[in-house]
Amino acid sequence: MDFTFTSEQRELRKAVIDFARRELNPGVVERDRLGVFPRDLWEKCAKQRILALPFPVNLGGDGFDFVTTVAVFQALGYACKDSGLVHALASQVICGIQILLFGNESQRAALLPDLSSGRFIYSQAITEPGSGSDAFAMRTNAVKNADKYILNGTKTMISNGPVADRAIVYAVTDPSKKALGGTSCFILSKGDPGFTSGKPMEKMGLRTLENGELIFCDCEIPHTSLLGHEGQGLIMFNEAMEWERTLIPACLLGELERVLEETVKYAKERIAFGQPIGNFQAVSHKVATMKMNLELGRLALYNAAHLKNQRKHAALEASVAKLFISESLKQACLDAVQIHGGYGYMTEFEVERELRDSIVSTIYSGTSEMQANIIARLAGL
Amino acid sequence: MSNKEIIKEFISHELLHDSRETPLNDEDQLIELGIIDSLGIMTLLTFVEDRFSLQISGDDLIPENFGSIAAISDLIERQLNR
Repeated sequence: MDFTFTSEQRELRKAVIDFARRELNPGVVERDRLGVFPRDLWEKCAKQRILALPFPVNLGGDGFDFVTTVAVFQALGYACKDSGLVHALASQVICGIQILLFGNESQRAALLPDLSSGRFIYSQAITEPGSGSDAFAMRTNAVKNADKYILNGTKTMISNGPVADRAIVYAVTDPSKKALGGTSCFILSKGDPGFTSGKPMEKMGLRTLENGELIFCDCEIPHTSLLGHEGQGLIMFNEAMEWERTLIPACLLGELERVLEETVKYAKERIAFGQPIGNFQAVSHKVATMKMNLELGRLALYNAAHLKNQRKHAALEASVAKLFISESLKQACLDAVQIHGGYGYMTEFEVERELRDSIVSTIYSGTSEMQANIIARLAGL
Repeated sequence: MSNKEIIKEFISHELLHDSRETPLNDEDQLIELGIIDSLGIMTLLTFVEDRFSLQISGDDLIPENFGSIAAISDLIERQLNR
């Protein structure tokens, strides 16, 4: 398999790296401290067409393939130190892919142009107060009557939730059936009667990404709000996760590359016992592991991305990429803090923020334990 | 082997691990019986796409198409005849 970037992909990556360093990084320490979503930077990214990459031109997108989209998001993860913003952007693209794959013609035409342009912010709502890894123990339900569905329930920790204009919401539509066949997916808009969003939740990392509750209280939506078919929810969720577990690890791999670069630079400059600390094997072996994981993660990521590009199923490959890259990043950030010593713990050096941002990567989009379950099952157990 | 037999063998070996005392029937309701669950459908989809060189997506990815061996076989036939 040849995972070499094309000249077009290299140019796109260079453009996004230059853009991110120039436009997105200034003020990141203060934004992290305040924990506020940078709407102005979202709009700059939208103007840069980052949100439009994989969507067809006739639906407002730029028509790039998925491997190119992954390559650009890896570059964004590498160059943009605001990992919360990067996650918000990736979440938007994942919502768009669900609409592209499962929306009917009128839904795609009505929704994708404003999603690609960034005019409307999207969130994807699955997690509930009583169901995380066991996602389909969800209680949010949608009851169908003659002309409407009526939703009741609460979603929590939803990325982009507090700022979202629209939400892709999973709900039980037939409690007599199992999750496979009994859940469905809906598209809701801010302002739908009975739909409210909560305040941003305080959290350890990704502080510029806003997460919060979505509350549905006798929320009435028309039948046309159904995305895909009634009962298709779990299958759509599985499909969405394959794309998500490929696109988000692309951002994480970029972050790993940045952490490695910063650590190497520090290890060459910092002198202890009369020599650069990188000369000590206690340091250099940690760096070697970061580099090894970066290279292996790249292979896992582009293996999954190439399969998705061909519209093939890649549940195993996406879970391998997600598990390996997120765990590698978290360990690399821990090691980077250790190598930086006391400075690594100081906000000014920005390594502690990388660590705080990385920790949740082994939790969201399916914990590492859930990825291992999927991998074991698909390996034949 | 017919498509139904291929599917039946896969489900018996990979999803049931031959743990049932009675063999599967073509009309057994695989989802209701808990034979195909959220992870099982990933396994099945990957197998069907590889074994029959198909791509199943969009409107074809509905639970009804995976509800029984007969339904899965019908889906494969429709895909192959496209």
